[in-house]
Amino acid sequence: MNKTAVMLTSILATSLAQPAAIAGPEEDRAAFVRYFQSRFPDVEFDEFANGIYAIDADSRRQWLEIEEFPPYEFAIEQGESEWQQTFANGRTFADCFAQPSDSIRAMYPRYEEARGEVVTLEIALNDCRAANDEEPYAYDAEELIDLTAFLAFEARGKAVAVRIPADQPGAIAAYEDGKRFYYSKRGQLNFACSDCHITSVGQRVRADRLGPSLGHTTHFPVYRSKLGGMIGLQQRFLGCIRDVRAKPFELQSTEYRNLEFFLAYMSNGLMINGPGARK
Amino acid sequence: MAACTTQFEREYAEAERWRAAAAAAGHEWIETSRLLEQAEATADAGNMDVAFELLGKARFQAEAAVRQAEREAEAWRVRVIK
Repeated sequence: MNKTAVMLTSILATSLAQPAAIAGPEEDRAAFVRYFQSRFPDVEFDEFANGIYAIDADSRRQWLEIEEFPPYEFAIEQGESEWQQTFANGRTFADCFAQPSDSIRAMYPRYEEARGEVVTLEIALNDCRAANDEEPYAYDAEELIDLTAFLAFEARGKAVAVRIPADQPGAIAAYEDGKRFYYSKRGQLNFACSDCHITSVGQRVRADRLGPSLGHTTHFPVYRSKLGGMIGLQQRFLGCIRDVRAKPFELQSTEYRNLEFFLAYMSNGLMINGPGARK
Repeated sequence: MAACTTQFEREYAEAERWRAAAAAAGHEWIETSRLLEQAEATADAGNMDVAFELLGKARFQAEAAVRQAEREAEAWRVRVIK
């Protein structure tokens, strides 16, 4: 066996043999919240849903002005139109979900034991299309982002409530995988998500300040001024991974879904406030 | 020339193995594949000096990514907030 194969086998064996982290998800979340509250003692817990605007007064002022004429309004309208569209078979998206539109966003991401994987809102919406013989959207399709913008808006004020049942080892494994991803350095710049959004939170990267991970998932999708359009949470993951010069994973890959699962759990108790507006 | 090409192919295959190992570990860097493609194209064009230089960069990055994956297999734990 050559040196490369030996090395690869060693890496894989180490990864598979990793014991679960000592603390469980709820202990992790409590420590997460304590950390950010100690870093920013003047910020109320609920305010962390506003991300950088909770800790940067200048950005907050600009954001509040933008919110008078929110740039994501068009996406909400388009998303509502998508939601109400009739498939060729006469059914609609609403027929796929037992819950009303204001309760759907808060259901995801969630671990589905039957499938053995984390299911995100985007996956669920595409599952609905497939179940009705419609072509699933590409994960960066405008129609899909608009749909999530509408459902996020409908769900405003509902709490993030990701569940990790103790009797579902698959859910715990997905959470631990997302946690490992979050804290692992990667890319040519050797950065972990935690390096920016925990260790260096509030510090500047060029002209921007780094936002806290507490509340990271509540306000997506967001309208990004620099792009002149909407992006979803996992597109932001992709951008960050690319920015540290690592090869990005595919949207809705296992890696990104587990990372979303971990981050969403960390934001349990915060109110959904999407869609948002960011630089 | 033929010996040079054979050596290039051998070294390319080795660099590609390191890249594949980094990818399998979830730690491939963003430029490695592009460097390999550029090395191959440059070799096809007959500019072997530059081709080997590009190959060297690709191999260096791929191997560094694999070392990163090895370190991070456990190193991530110390960063977890407790």
